[in-house]
Order: sequence, then structure tokens, then C-alpha cells
Amino acid sequence: MESTGMIVIFCSLLIVPFFVTADTCLGPEVKAETYTTTEAVSSRDTVFIVQFQLTCKNKLDNLNLYAEIKGKTIPVTKSVGSNVYQISYSDEPKKLPSGQYDFRLYDDEGYASLRKAQRSGESTDNIKPLYTVSVNHPGVWKGPALQSEFVAALVAILVWYSAYIAKTKLQTTN
Amino acid sequence: MKLIIAAILLSFACYNQAEEENVARLLASKNILNQYLVEGKDLTVEYKIYNIGGSSAFDVNLKDSGFPETDFEVLRGSLNVRWERIAPGTNVSHNVILRPLSYGYFNFTSGEVTYKPSEEATESVSGYTSAPGEGGIVNSKDFDRRFSPHVVS
Repeated sequence: MESTGMIVIFCSLLIVPFFVTADTCLGPEVKAETYTTTEAVSSRDTVFIVQFQLTCKNKLDNLNLYAEIKGKTIPVTKSVGSNVYQISYSDEPKKLPSGQYDFRLYDDEGYASLRKAQRSGESTDNIKPLYTVSVNHPGVWKGPALQSEFVAALVAILVWYSAYIAKTKLQTTN
Repeated sequence: MKLIIAAILLSFACYNQAEEENVARLLASKNILNQYLVEGKDLTVEYKIYNIGGSSAFDVNLKDSGFPETDFEVLRGSLNVRWERIAPGTNVSHNVILRPLSYGYFNFTSGEVTYKPSEEATESVSGYTSAPGEGGIVNSKDFDRRFSPHVVS
């Protein structure tokens, strides 16, 4: 009698892990489209936008996601009416120079571990993100370095100067 | 006697204040980040939502119907998004990139924000973002005449 009870408990304990892991996205695949501000005219702040669709092998959707970038954690928004998530990040242009930026995605569990590690001062590198999206920022174009009229005037002066040198050379040799 | 009545009435005011602290209150702003608005060039919109209440706001929805499809094309971002919760004392931001399809004066209106002020709330509270107001979208030819390098033409 006791042994059957023990067997039942043992079997139910074996099944429990399957219900627990059902909350985490298994085998995440991300299809992302990114945008970065490339012209100073378009925005006075540099803006990064990552729109992505997440598919999990265990068919989870409508997850709560958080993105970590440069030590800051931002919640990921969900688009109403479609399965698209969006990360928006903006800052002054001088704080976001050209280069590659990695957005680490975490779910509820990962976010809780992240916060715990941050509060106790531990390194957050050990917490494995659900997925990492890389954004390449080519930099913001603020306009041509030199005005074209200035360049044209400079070239004209150089041409005049070389002609003047040539003329004086001819005059002195005569 | 009057003092006692006044004290009782004032205590009710305090009670209301305390209740406010357990409720979320959201303030939302909408800003156009462009230096110039030019037809055919990117238009960057930024929405910021601040929770100044004492508890988290749940099921926060942001919807902006102020960009008709005939006048603006959405390049990146969505104009109808939601956050599951916004913690008290925190803020979130959302950006959308649009492209104006025509030039002229345009009145940039508010977006709408709805949220549940507490976890037990059954009805959503509705509010509006700030409105950027009227802006002029410049014709691309006029903009190039003024700003482009003039190397070729």
C-alpha cells in the first residue's frame, strides 16, 4: 500500500518538470527588421527600432519580453492585432556613435534573475538571454563636411595660384 | 465643536489621498523629433508614458489614429501597441517612423492611451497624449534647393 503511494508521488514528480518548462520559449527564432536614424534632419535624437516576430518550438506566443541594451532594461511592446514585438531605444546622438549594438532579450524569468543580479551587484553576464538581436548603426549624416561652394572657391584659388606661379616662372626665365 | 467637524472632514480628504497612492496614473507625451519636416524624408515620432501613481498600470494600450494612410506611410514601428504593465515611478517610450506623402500644413493630433489603474480594476481608464500641434511639411524640391550640396545641379 505504501509502495503504490510512493510510486504515484514519484510519477507525478516526474511529470511536473514538463509543466514548469512550458512557460519558457524553447528554441526561439527571431525574424527582425531594424531601423536607426541616419539623417540629423529626421530626428534630433538617435532612434533605434527593432521590430521582430518570435516563434517558439513549443508554440508559445504573447510573451512578456524585456530588452537589455547598454545596461538599461526596457520593456518590449506588443503590436495590437499582429504577432509583432517592438523595441524602441533613443538617446542623444553623441551617446550613440556608429557601431554595433546588441539587444539581449529576456522573458519574465530571465528578467527576474537579471534584476536580482543587478540588486546584489553581481555580474549579469551569467544570465543567458532568450535571444540577442544585433543592430548596426552606420552613424548620423549631418550634412556635407565642406560646403560645395567653399570647395569650388578653393579649387578656383588653387588654379589661379598655379597659373600665377607658371607665369612668373616663364617671365623670369625670359 | 467646529474644530472637531473640520478635523473629521479633513481626515476624509487624507483618506482619498491615500487611496490615490494605490492607483496608477499615466501621463503621456507625443513629440515629433524632426528638425525639419520634409516630404519623402523620415518623420520620427516619440511617445513617452510616465506612471506617476503609486501602483502599476496594467494592460496599457497606445493607439494613434492621427496619421491617415493617404498622407503618411508607416516605415517602421506600429501605431497601436500595448504594454502588459508599467511599474510605478517608471516611464516607457515608443517610437514610430513615418514618411509624409505630401507637403503642406498638417495638424498633429493626440494619441489615445487606455489602461487599468490597478490589478483588480475591471474597467479601463482612457486619456490622451500631448499633441505636437500644427507643423509644415516642406516640399522636397524646396528643401533640396536650400540644403543639398548643389554639386551636380
